[in-house]
Amino acid sequence: MGEEGTEGTVHLLCLAASSGVPLFCRSSRGGAPARQQVGPWRSGSPKLEGLPFSVIGSLNGVHMFGQNLEVQLSSARTEDTTVVWKSFHDSITLIVLSSEAGTSELRLERLLQMVFGAMVLLVGLEELTNISNIERLKKELRASYGLIDSLLGDSELIGDLTQCVDCVVPPEGSLLQEALSGFAEAAGTNFASLVVSGRVVVATESWWRLGTPEAVLLPWLVGSLPPQAARDYPVYLPHGSPTVPHRLLTLTLLPGLELCLVCGPRPPLSQLDPQLLERWWQPMLDPLRACLPLGPRALPAGFPLHTDILGLLLLHLELKRCLFTVEPSGDKDPSPEQRRCVLRSFYTLVTAVHFPPEPGQQEDKAEDAAQQPQVPKACYLVSGTEEPGTGWRLVALQSGPRRLLLLLSAQSPVHGLRGLATRTLHALTPLL
Amino acid sequence: MATAALCGSRQSPEGLLGDSSPQEDEDCDPEDGDSDWGSYSSASSDYDDLEPEWLDSVQKNGELFYLELSEGEEESLLPEPPVVNHVRFSENEIIIEEDDYREGKKYEPKLKRFTKILKSKRLLPKRHNKKNSKDSGPVSILKHQSHQKTGVLVQQRYKDVSVCVNPKKLTVTKAKEQLKLLEVLVGVIHQTKWSWRRAGKQAGGERLVVHGLLPGGPAMKSGQVFIGDVLVAVNDVDVTSENIERVLSCIPGPMQVKLTFENAYAVKKEAAQPTQKKVQLNTEGDLVKLLWGEEVGGSEQKVLHTPHVVLYLTLELDSETSKEEQEILYHYPASDASQKLKSVRGIFLTLCDMLESVTGTRVTSSSLLLNGKQINVAYWKESDKLLLIGLPAEEVPLPQLRNMIEDVAQTLKFMYGSLDRAFCQAENAPRVDHFFELFFQRALLPARPHGGASPGAQQYEAASAVLLDGLPGVRWLPLPQEIKVELDTALSDLEAADFAELSEDYHDMRRLYTILGSSLFYKGYLTCSHLPKDDLIDVAVYCRHYGLLPLAAKQRVGQLVIWREVFPRCHCRPPTDSDPDAFQEPEGRYFLLIVGWRHFMSCVLLEAGGCASTAVGNPGPDCVYVDQVKTALHQLQAVDCRINEQLESSPSPCLSCADWFLAGSHEKLDCLTTSPILSKLQGSSKVATSPPCRRTLFGDYSLKTRKPSPSRSSGGPDDGGEGGEGGGPSPHTTPDTERKQREADGSEESGALLKVIKKKSALLNPFHVGNLKKDLSEKELEIYNAMKLTSGPENTLFHYVALETVQGIFITPTHEDVARLGGSVHPELIKNFHRCCLSIRAVFQQTLMEEKKKAGSVADHSDSTDSASAPNPVKEHGVLFECSPENWADQKKAPPVVAYWVVGRLFLCPKVQELYVCFHDSVTEIAIEMAFKLFFGLTL
Repeated sequence: MGEEGTEGTVHLLCLAASSGVPLFCRSSRGGAPARQQVGPWRSGSPKLEGLPFSVIGSLNGVHMFGQNLEVQLSSARTEDTTVVWKSFHDSITLIVLSSEAGTSELRLERLLQMVFGAMVLLVGLEELTNISNIERLKKELRASYGLIDSLLGDSELIGDLTQCVDCVVPPEGSLLQEALSGFAEAAGTNFASLVVSGRVVVATESWWRLGTPEAVLLPWLVGSLPPQAARDYPVYLPHGSPTVPHRLLTLTLLPGLELCLVCGPRPPLSQLDPQLLERWWQPMLDPLRACLPLGPRALPAGFPLHTDILGLLLLHLELKRCLFTVEPSGDKDPSPEQRRCVLRSFYTLVTAVHFPPEPGQQEDKAEDAAQQPQVPKACYLVSGTEEPGTGWRLVALQSGPRRLLLLLSAQSPVHGLRGLATRTLHALTPLL
Repeated sequence: MATAALCGSRQSPEGLLGDSSPQEDEDCDPEDGDSDWGSYSSASSDYDDLEPEWLDSVQKNGELFYLELSEGEEESLLPEPPVVNHVRFSENEIIIEEDDYREGKKYEPKLKRFTKILKSKRLLPKRHNKKNSKDSGPVSILKHQSHQKTGVLVQQRYKDVSVCVNPKKLTVTKAKEQLKLLEVLVGVIHQTKWSWRRAGKQAGGERLVVHGLLPGGPAMKSGQVFIGDVLVAVNDVDVTSENIERVLSCIPGPMQVKLTFENAYAVKKEAAQPTQKKVQLNTEGDLVKLLWGEEVGGSEQKVLHTPHVVLYLTLELDSETSKEEQEILYHYPASDASQKLKSVRGIFLTLCDMLESVTGTRVTSSSLLLNGKQINVAYWKESDKLLLIGLPAEEVPLPQLRNMIEDVAQTLKFMYGSLDRAFCQAENAPRVDHFFELFFQRALLPARPHGGASPGAQQYEAASAVLLDGLPGVRWLPLPQEIKVELDTALSDLEAADFAELSEDYHDMRRLYTILGSSLFYKGYLTCSHLPKDDLIDVAVYCRHYGLLPLAAKQRVGQLVIWREVFPRCHCRPPTDSDPDAFQEPEGRYFLLIVGWRHFMSCVLLEAGGCASTAVGNPGPDCVYVDQVKTALHQLQAVDCRINEQLESSPSPCLSCADWFLAGSHEKLDCLTTSPILSKLQGSSKVATSPPCRRTLFGDYSLKTRKPSPSRSSGGPDDGGEGGEGGGPSPHTTPDTERKQREADGSEESGALLKVIKKKSALLNPFHVGNLKKDLSEKELEIYNAMKLTSGPENTLFHYVALETVQGIFITPTHEDVARLGGSVHPELIKNFHRCCLSIRAVFQQTLMEEKKKAGSVADHSDSTDSASAPNPVKEHGVLFECSPENWADQKKAPPVVAYWVVGRLFLCPKVQELYVCFHDSVTEIAIEMAFKLFFGLTL
């Protein structure tokens, strides 16, 4: 259970499986490490800062060597680093090396799935499986760097790990929902959503039916792009349509609040003229404004939460949506980054070790879990030194399709954790 | 008889040594055992009747592994062949066999002169020599690696093996009884008595089953003859036990002989199982068989097909002499599945090298997919060598594997001094093979039959091994003060090494060994230890590895003597310790002596050098020391039954069975949180008999124990009227009629059920201390009674494990405790508990590692950076489970559900302690309180 997310680096390597040619390398410390490392001015670089080509070669080499002998190398661990290999469609090999504290294979495997999803999203599966021109593919993949980097770095979102869509709960959801449906109909598409800093405020039913990973990746992509008034972005849907591109249209309604549409060749962006926007969204200006601060907070202001709660993650495993916030109340000791990190690693622990895998993850495994007579229902973890008032408490609760994880301050009594979590889950149930 | 002859075959012409009977009949009779067991010693002149029977088993390098069972008391007449584990191979052993023997003898006589003196004083009892009686005594059979070639499983039914025989060397060993030639000439041991149990079968045309192989014998050298094979022909002449000697005696001089064997597996398949029944511990493989029971044949196959491997590789490659597989220093086993893992060793080497250079930390493990199965490989790097163990993740979770490799490395170092010595010295290879055979058996066949124990206990054993085998501690049985003092005294007396006329001091000789400490196990539980923690753990891990602990638990050990040089980590590391440096002399050598007798096993750590005389060569066990330990054990015989009582009516925290808490969801939704016991009484048929039990119990109870416990309302006789109501405040009242019915039942059946009650008493009423009786003072009784861990009116504790790392001990419910509880859900719960604890412990271990790192790092971290970078150590971790009975047939009703917590708690200060408890969800428990109750008074 590591807490410091600032230390440690994540390195991502992408290689063409057949030839072993590196397609790109990214690291959580910004950009392509190998190139940055060149230059005498970068002295005293921390370990793992940039992988020399020989290391990349041997990392890929061991994996290929194993594959030739029908042994699939999937992961390796040192005392502080975890390496995970994964091949996609026998054509792309992704390797991730993470020295982040509290990292786990689960996190890295899901990261790789997301990264590959991101590559498909922006380049298309065709290009990735039939590599005809490596140099061209390399160039095309550059478009995905922004999205991939946001997956590697510290994000405020957790969808990359949970594979659930990060959502917020708007104060006047039904009004917004109506407006959105109306607008989508007028615009001639079924797929529409409102996104505030990468989190979905409201979305049409069809949008919610988007499969993983695009449901997570599309808002993520919107959040990771530089702010623009409007975009027309070609995307492939890794699950729904990996070979035929669609268009992602975004319109900025308010700074930070964007309207997203996924559509076919029609309508052209120009058709979404100001009149249309104005007609549907002008009356909604106040509810829209109220959504803006929801970014980091996720829950509407004034939602009653116990004051001990420092962070909250609510997942709905069937709907594949989640609420994630570390700022339900004012600033207390652990910084938001730290809180996020703690909750992330707790989620990993709980999911990888104790709770049965989420449905839809791997069907066969989920079945096993259903037959398992010993069903885990709750889990807590207390950290801190022996002296009272230090550290924090974590509690997880599973109830039906919902899973709630709470980060609580140290003054919360251990024996009351479950009760508190149950009450909180009860209060949150209508929201998700 | 034939077995006895084997000893003879290794003997000098002076006569038959030490094959005299161990007097099993006496062993089994506690009364007259003492006189005979007083002491055995060796005499320089008369070997014949004074040699301890294990003497022949001592290896050239001084090691001894002698085991003689007294399994099945009614079958005590049956010979109980010993196991000898360690065989030293050498090219010309068969030639110098005799010399070997003499050489072996040399280390013996150090104390022999005392024996002479003793003899003159008639201190040493004469032992009957039953050598020639029909059921002659245990036999030392030197064995070999029957498993060496286990990988080669292409089974033809018959195989031809050519061996060279040399009848000339018979001159020395001739003049033995019949059936000798087979052993001496060919090196095949066949025991006619094998068929003893098959009453109908006359020895006439008996098949010549290979029961053992003579070390260095031609058969063993051929490497193709295995235990269990049947010799069917010699040079195409059909042979049976009847004509074999005649046939062999026709061999005129050194020549090559073709032996035709029927394959062991083929035989096994067709042979009726019963023939395998008796423990013929001829081989190391048989030790496995003993420990894992008869099914080993089938399970062996299973093990073989499970990919598993141990590799010892060198990272320094000599590029000059590039040879195939030169980097492999050791590899086991040779099965197909492991070949695959061996073939990808390049991955391991590369990862080890590259990742370490990239990350600066050592590789700990990696995972591979092999045929759709996930295999975890753990790494252990020392200097430029790499030890790898690969096991399927399904069988061995990664955290367990990590503990295992550490254990293996530790044990090998304890046994051989260093991994290099263990793996790279040719003569150790078979032993290390055996070591890993046992290791993989343990890892892959967790359901080891716990002979004689109930299936419940077996399950428990298997389920708990996941966690307990990895704990840095020894299973401890808390005993009442009185017994403990007695044990302590016995060990102290032994350690004082004041052997009176037997001691070296008496004869003005320099002491051979200083006794550093000793520990005493009873039925596999540590009862008393005077060893430092590290030594204790080293010894315990060794014992665990060789399955000695369950051995003592399941059957009385007739006699167990183990002697070997060891390298305890706290003594053998450079003298930077705070240890008294008097013992740190470079020439100090350490020896482990384990003596087992019945359910007792004593481990003694001896030091040579230092203030004792320096050990020269490879000294074998000295009779006097062995005898003294044995004597100490015999003295403890009186305590035996008291410890056993203690074990059976364990006073440690009383447990509940999960099945009692199963509530039919339709009838009482809320009783789960109020009084689960109640529902148990009303509901399930499973416990239908318990109310009468309890009723009668009270009558029984008031006679036996003096005091009702005030803290437990349902416990005392005062509450007798309340019957089994469970006493707790409960909104549900049983209908009166029902209760009356039960009462009536109770009085009727009381007599008949008395027995049941006795068994069940500890579970039904934790304050009923069973047969604890007279030995306990009232006060002690109360202390033990106070051991109710959970709060609230009901006892909701299902299970616990408490680890105390300073003393290296842990306590957990005994097999008896768990077996008593029974239940259908409960075993599942216990299994899940241990699995879950393993995960929890993995989190704790991570914490401990970080703490260590933090402590190790410089203290110049200011507070501000500390709070940011120093993680808060995890100290408590709990998981709530819900479980319901399997195979719930009733579709309409939802299955009843019981919810329970598994909570782990880590204490860092003042000393590292770990506590794992499992309790019902109805009561909110505070782990610290439970820990306090459990650890209180827990001292060695």
